Amino acid sequence: MRKIIKFVPLILLIVVCGFFLLFIIFEKDPSNPPSALLNKDMPKFSTSSLYNKNIKLSSDNLKKNVHLSVNTNVATTEDNLEKYTLINFFASWCTPCRAEHHLFFEIKEDYPNVFLLGISHKDSPADSKKYLNEEGNPYSFVGLDQNGKIALEFGVFGLPETFIINNDGKIIFKHMGQLTKKIIEDEISVFF
Amino acid sequence: MISLIGFSSLCLSTFFSILFLIPNSIFKINIKFCLLFFRFSTILICISFSSLITAYITSDFSNFNVFQNSHSEKPLIYKIAGAWGNHEGSILLWLSMISIYGFLYSLMSKSLDDFKINVLKIQSSIFLIFAFFIIFTSNPFLVNSVEVNEGLGLNPILQDPALAIHPPMLYLGYVGFSLVFSLGIASLLSKNDDKNWLIETKRWSMISWTFLTAGIALGSYWAYYELGWGGWWFWDPVENISLMPWIVGLALVHSLIMTRGEQAIERWIIFLSILCFSLSILGTFLVRSGILTSVHSFASDASRGLFILLIFFLTTGFGLLVFLVKSPIKKNHLNLLLINKTSALIINNILMIIAMLTILLGTIYPIIIEVLTNTRISVGGPYFNSTVLPVLLPGFLLMSIAPVLSWQSNKIKKFRVYVVFFLFLSFLALIHSYFTVFNTWGFLGLILGSWIILASIISIILRFKFLISLNYIKSINSFIAHIGVGLMILGITFSSIYQKEYSFNISIGEEININNNILKLENIKVVENKNYQSLMAIFSLRKKGELIDYILPGKNYYPVSKMITTEAGIYHDWLKDIYITLGNEEDSTWNIKIYLNPLVSFIWIGVCIMIFSGFIAIFKK
Repeated sequence: MRKIIKFVPLILLIVVCGFFLLFIIFEKDPSNPPSALLNKDMPKFSTSSLYNKNIKLSSDNLKKNVHLSVNTNVATTEDNLEKYTLINFFASWCTPCRAEHHLFFEIKEDYPNVFLLGISHKDSPADSKKYLNEEGNPYSFVGLDQNGKIALEFGVFGLPETFIINNDGKIIFKHMGQLTKKIIEDEISVFF
Repeated sequence: MISLIGFSSLCLSTFFSILFLIPNSIFKINIKFCLLFFRFSTILICISFSSLITAYITSDFSNFNVFQNSHSEKPLIYKIAGAWGNHEGSILLWLSMISIYGFLYSLMSKSLDDFKINVLKIQSSIFLIFAFFIIFTSNPFLVNSVEVNEGLGLNPILQDPALAIHPPMLYLGYVGFSLVFSLGIASLLSKNDDKNWLIETKRWSMISWTFLTAGIALGSYWAYYELGWGGWWFWDPVENISLMPWIVGLALVHSLIMTRGEQAIERWIIFLSILCFSLSILGTFLVRSGILTSVHSFASDASRGLFILLIFFLTTGFGLLVFLVKSPIKKNHLNLLLINKTSALIINNILMIIAMLTILLGTIYPIIIEVLTNTRISVGGPYFNSTVLPVLLPGFLLMSIAPVLSWQSNKIKKFRVYVVFFLFLSFLALIHSYFTVFNTWGFLGLILGSWIILASIISIILRFKFLISLNYIKSINSFIAHIGVGLMILGITFSSIYQKEYSFNISIGEEININNNILKLENIKVVENKNYQSLMAIFSLRKKGELIDYILPGKNYYPVSKMITTEAGIYHDWLKDIYITLGNEEDSTWNIKIYLNPLVSFIWIGVCIMIFSGFIAIFKK
């Protein structure tokens, strides 16, 4: 028994390092399985605004061109400009969300014709409001998903998760986890 | 030119440490002469690091690293701090510190020459591994391929005096454990039974632990006023990573006390030394490889990650293997059945290790889950609060009486005094919670914190001598440290449980009344500074009609990197902080958040006391 205990730290070390190694290799692996939803129509959903329960937004709004004015009106316009929607699932309790949050301001500034839809996932409206007050609100529209139903439809694993949807309502990009500047430059900006 | 000097002295320094590592039997040189190699290597690495700093000060943009991280408009202090505000520079700082610690050791050590050389050889091997890491994957002296006149700027959130010295402090702590590691391994390898290494380990681990405490406290204080989240500890992965070696270091420092009771548990001490340093490297690996998400965003690179993982594996594996093969055979029969100091220290050690493992599990759990199930999760504050705190509670309880326990016998001196005071205190705490909102954690924190302080004060009074000399301070040093911890517990309890939060939308000229403190938004102005613009709100704080102070929350905009940072405005008072952050403007009303944080100052005072007694303990024989 004593002999086994002696080896425990060494075994632990190997196991932990093994996990790290797997993680690093796994990150670099190009065969990282793409989402089943990629290039499919986005699931149908409807959500109401964080700031005003009467303002609703549904998946149909996104397919057409949604005219945006800060968190108050959602109107559909008829111009035929290419517009993309970026859906970001966030919550006030999620640290990586906080870390990636400032990037949305950059997206908003660099690509003004992208509709930024933030979905507050399993979070109380009060906390989400507080979070957006603290960090600033880059989103064109903040939708509520308190019971996590929308996230379920989108197959969200964990926060944060980001989707990009094109004009026809197809999901063309999906990223699990925190966005970085590199990902935006290499993978996201090609769409816009 | 300066980069060339830097790089060549880095390479030369590496060369000299290789020379130092060559076994003495080959060249048959004098030991004194051998030491010279090591010292040369230290001097060269210092030259290398100073040339990097010079490149930063002179804004030499022909150096790629300077170009990426500096800007000629930056104030001088942040130009210097820029040298370690990035990956390459900070690893060079790390490397220099490994060498400097060895250098200081070689000057101060009174050990036998053989032992000394062994320690320095291990230190030198660690140095070599990191030197290769720098030369091959993160060279700060790369030449910029384009001709430029201006740099890309430092991350503005890092332009802050506390943060300028936070990394060096932290590194002094982390790297100090490398020397403790070397001492531990060297003692395993040494053939004679000299106990001098225990005294040396004690001194150096105390030094490292004190620096680490200061480093963590600085970072935490910075987070408190710069991030504007209203708190000072977020269980962020990087914070956890620095906390783990700190806890193990604390366990180490405490086990080393047992050498005084002549019941040294050498095997355990060596194990802790190995653990301390490997946790420090693990921290570097997790931060630098970017596989954990946190507020500390560094450029990450997978190949670097692999390299540091390799370093981590080699160092820890080597340490543990030597430990397995050569572990001391002599058995000490510890008398653990009694209520004596030894058993208290053992329990405290076990609790600290459990706390460390709990934090480790929470920190790497997301990685394990992602590898196994391809799902990304985040483990946050709730997990740590509900798992780590209960583990620490019995430790705190023990802490208050531990210094009074005797080494050998089973008696507590002046037992009754303590019991009476404890009952009295519990009664007071009960009354306090009866009249305020009852909260289990609040009650426990209050009772534990004040009990630790009271018990330590009683002990100090019982030992009081009329002559206050340095020796007297040394003899009551452990009580002083524990008073610091007690104050910190009080501060943590009150600031987290009784924190009040308000949110207002106000326009210029409006007044807010919070508990008879009248806050008036006097004005909002934009100030142009050297390298940023700041938007500042001016609040006047009045109490009973008297002006007490101005509070200035604001936001800074850094045009070079197009980033906005929040600057919380804080009014410090002994009993509470009024903490204001400025939100967005809407129709000329401003959204502000006000936090009333009671007793936050206790946390910083407590930490300062701990650092103070850490320094005293360094000089204690």
